Order: sequence, then C-alpha cells, then structure tokens
Amino acid sequence: MLKFILKRILVSIPTMLAIITLVFFLVHMTPGNPFDGERALSPEALAALMHQYRLDLPLWQQYLMYLDDLIHGSFGISMKYLGQPINQLLFPDNMGGFWVTLQLSVYTMMVAVPLGILVGCYAGLHKNSIFDKIVVASNIFFTAVPTMVTGPLAVLLFAVTLQIFPAGGWGDGDFMHVFMPVAILTLAYTPTIAFVTRGSIIDVLNSNYIRTARAKGLPTRKILFKHAIRPTLLPVVSVLGPMFAGILVGAVVTEQIFTLPGLGILTTNAATNRDYNMIMAITIFGSSLTIIFNIIVDICYMLLDPKIKQ
Amino acid sequence: MLAKTKDLNLDIPKAKGFWSNVFKRFAKNKLALLSLSIIVILTLMCIFVPMLSSISYDKTNWSEILQTPNAKHLFGTDNLGRDLFVRAFIGGRITFAIAFAAALVVLLIGIFYGAIAGYVGGKVDTIMMRIVDILYGIPFLFFCILLITLFGNSVALSFVAIAAISWLDMARIVRGQTLGIKHKEYVEAALVSGVSNLKIITRHVIPNLLGVVIVYAALTVPNMIVLSAVLSFFGLGVTEPMTSWGLLIADGAQNMESWWLLLFPAGLMTITLLSFAFVANGLRDALDPR
Repeated sequence: MLKFILKRILVSIPTMLAIITLVFFLVHMTPGNPFDGERALSPEALAALMHQYRLDLPLWQQYLMYLDDLIHGSFGISMKYLGQPINQLLFPDNMGGFWVTLQLSVYTMMVAVPLGILVGCYAGLHKNSIFDKIVVASNIFFTAVPTMVTGPLAVLLFAVTLQIFPAGGWGDGDFMHVFMPVAILTLAYTPTIAFVTRGSIIDVLNSNYIRTARAKGLPTRKILFKHAIRPTLLPVVSVLGPMFAGILVGAVVTEQIFTLPGLGILTTNAATNRDYNMIMAITIFGSSLTIIFNIIVDICYMLLDPKIKQ
Repeated sequence: MLAKTKDLNLDIPKAKGFWSNVFKRFAKNKLALLSLSIIVILTLMCIFVPMLSSISYDKTNWSEILQTPNAKHLFGTDNLGRDLFVRAFIGGRITFAIAFAAALVVLLIGIFYGAIAGYVGGKVDTIMMRIVDILYGIPFLFFCILLITLFGNSVALSFVAIAAISWLDMARIVRGQTLGIKHKEYVEAALVSGVSNLKIITRHVIPNLLGVVIVYAALTVPNMIVLSAVLSFFGLGVTEPMTSWGLLIADGAQNMESWWLLLFPAGLMTITLLSFAFVANGLRDALDPR
C-alpha cells in the first residue's frame, strides 16, 4: 500500500519536471521581453528591471534558479505588480486568489459527487423510466452546453429578472453569493457523474456474481450494498481525476461570469498585462494540482479494487 | 465480363458497401438529420447574412442605441447602435471558421501522431505517449492563455494555441485503434509483400481509422467552439470591432438589462452545440451498430 503510493509519487516527479521545463523554456525562448509593452523605459531602468527579474543571466542559470525557487515554494515576483511576490497574489492572507477557486471547486465536488452517484444509481436501477431518460438527456445537454452559456443565462433569469440572488461578487463567501456559481458548476458536472454511474451499475447488475447472489435469494438491498456498490464506483472514481482539472478550469470561467476574485481574474489580468511570471505560476500550479489529484484518485481506485492491491 | 453481366440485367443483389449502410442508418435517425440540417442552415446564414445585409456589422448608429428586437433589427441593437442580427452571424462566421480550422489541425496531428505511435510501437510508442501524458497534466485553458500571451493576441494565433493543445485525445484514440489494426491479416500480408511502413500507415491504417475519426471530428468541432468562446470570455482571440459568439456572450453578460444582447448569441451557440452533439451521436450509432 505504502509502496504503491510512494511509487506513484515518484513516477509523477519527472512529469512535473517536464511540465515546468516546457513552460519555462517556452516563456523564455520567445523573442521579445515582457517589458516591451511598457512606455519607453530608459536603458538604465530597463537594465535594472532585467536584473531584478534575473533576465540578464544566462538561460540555464535562470532555469536552475527558478527550479530552486519552486522547490522552496516560491513562484517568483509578479512582472506587473512590481516587486509583489506571486505567492501573495495567488494565496493572499485574506479571502481571494486561489482560495476562492478552491472553495468553489470543493463545494462543487461535495455536492456533485454524492448527488451524481445517487441520481445515477437510481436511474440505472430504473432503466428506461422517465427519470432515467431525463438523466440521459441532461447529460447530453450539459456536456454540450458549457457554463459560459448556462452561467450568464442563469444570472439573467435568477439575478436580473427574478432578483433572487446577487448577480455576482463573492460577498464574504456567504450562502447567497456562493449559491449560484456552485449551482452552475454542479449542474455542469453532476450529469456526467450520474451518467457514468448509471452505465456502471447497469453493467454490474448484469454480471454473473450478482445473478448468483440473486439466485441465492439475497435481499436486493443486501446485494446492492454488499456486492454491487464497489465495482459500480470504480469507473466513477476514474472520471473524477480528469473532472477535478475540469472543475478547476471551469471554476475559473465561472469566476469570470460572476466576477469573483479568484484565479480567473488573476489569469485575465496576467494575460492582458503580459505578466509572464504570473501565467507560468498559474500553469505550473494548475498542473501540479491535476497531478496530485490524479494520485489521490489512483489511491482511491486501489482501495476500491482489491485486484490492484497486490 | 462484368459489363456483360450488367447488360443482361440480371437480378443480382447489389453488394452493399459499408458506407451506404452507414448513410442509411444515419438517414433513419431523425434527430441527427434535423441537427445536421440546422448546422448547414446556420453555416449558410453565417456566410450570407453579413454579405447580403444592407447594414454593416461594425456600423455604429447613435440614434438607435440598445433597441429591443424589432422589424428593422431582428435581434435588436447593442450599446453602440450596431445591429445584433448581423453581428451574431459575422461572429458565428468567425467562430465556425476557427472551430473548423482548429478541428482540422487537431485531426491531422492526432491521426498521424497516434497512427505512428501505435504502428511503430516499442520505445518510440512509449516516448511518444509519455509526451502526451505530460501535456495532459497541463490544464488546457491556462496553457492556451500562456501561448496567446507569449505570441501575441490574434485570431490566427488563438486558433494555433487551441489546436496545439487539443490533439491529445485524438492521438490516444487513434493509437489504440491502430494497435488493433496492426495485427490484422491484411496488414501483415502487405508487410510480407514488401510494402513500406509509411505506405502501410497511409494506405491501410489511416483509412481504417475513418469511422472513429469521423465521430471524433463531430465532437471536436463543438469543443473548439467552446474553447474559442471561453478564450473570448477572457478577452483573448477575436477583438472589437470584429466579434465572435464568445465575445457577444461576454458583452451580453455585462449588459444584462438588455436581455437580447445575451439571449440571442447564447441561444445560437446552444442550438449549434446541441446539434453537433446529436450529429455525433447519430454518426456513432450509424458507424457502430450494436
């Protein structure tokens, strides 16, 4: 068990390193420098800026120093907000930055995962019922139509027309402000979870060992909870890994719709200001979250499937 | 000989090709057919509405600001008095153009990368798929924004960025399929008779991937539409006075009191995306009848 986890972590280190290297050299080999766009700088000022951001050093030195920074948990200094460490922008002491995105993603997972599994099981157990058909149809609808369409429409309906919820902003993270963004994200991801669960439970219930259990005369409830639940959850767990990355990115778009002060606004600002260090940091940070979450999913997978354990 | 049989007009049952069967099955699927015609109609409208309309998409008109939909402006006007009907379709034109172009690039890269990795196998395969795994670890939206920030904000570049990160799925699917095809008898026969590897890939492997590729293409185009729209939402890609559906929706989201600014572009995009989803479903059922 421990060996498996360790091995899994070790394997992902080269991947992470490759991503960092790719992003770093992509950014630094591109012609032009981030201060091109600034109003004409005197040569001295430019030289001072270049020095502050180590851009005057040979590339390999910059690379090693960047790696060193990362190992010490620092993403360097923002190029737009001169002198501001990126860590402080990404993880501010008060609410904002990544904390908003994280809250949004976690709330969404907390609602979407149990709800999706429950709905999926119910639909699978009552195959071809009206409820089942609604689940299948809503899966088609919400995988096709993204939050950037449903989100503004929901704001138009619930905030502007009906005036039930505020149209945007984080408030102090209170229920009314959080409800709509989380609801939109939940709506986007629950149908997928439900659909996978539904397919999985239908497969499992048709398998031989369930038939055997039925033939033995076990009560349905016991069959479901004792025999069917674990194998049903296996495929569900495997979609949750990519889904977390999806929710993280989806949350960034949702923040944009509801004007929340999260990663989304940092990304937009960084893009419009050509804040290279910031975008690098966000990309690398996002990648590491994806990888970490994939490891967690793999561990859950192993806990559910005894065949992998050995 | 063949001609003679034909002349005799014998009642020999015609050998039905795979594709004619596929076509028949697809034609039976009413929803998919309807969706396909919606896509065709929308595409035509995107081409011809801006061309034939007497109002230009960037013509501002201060006396007609924020008009609700009416006979002259079917979709109303925006806060600069520009006609939303024309703008919606010129935006659709850009959106479709980016999506189709990006999808084409995605398919080409994905097919060749996947086919080569799957066919050559061994170490090459391991390394090539490892690269795909690594790229998979990067959240696509951030990477896309990174590329656009680096190389400058333009429509052409945003499409390159989109394409550059979206071929991974295609490569994986094609590789898997290729592994299956590789060991079929006809490929082995070709190999034995001395056909070169490149020729086997282009003549035998890729044509046999067509089914998967078609279905995946129908799924890729809407994905590209969404991705380019999301980028517009972040102010990247298409810039004013040109527009795209993403930009129009972002605009509409900022002017909620004028509901038509949001409702029409969002509605058009929803219809398009759903149509593509149904066409893809129809194609999958038609190509792979169970």
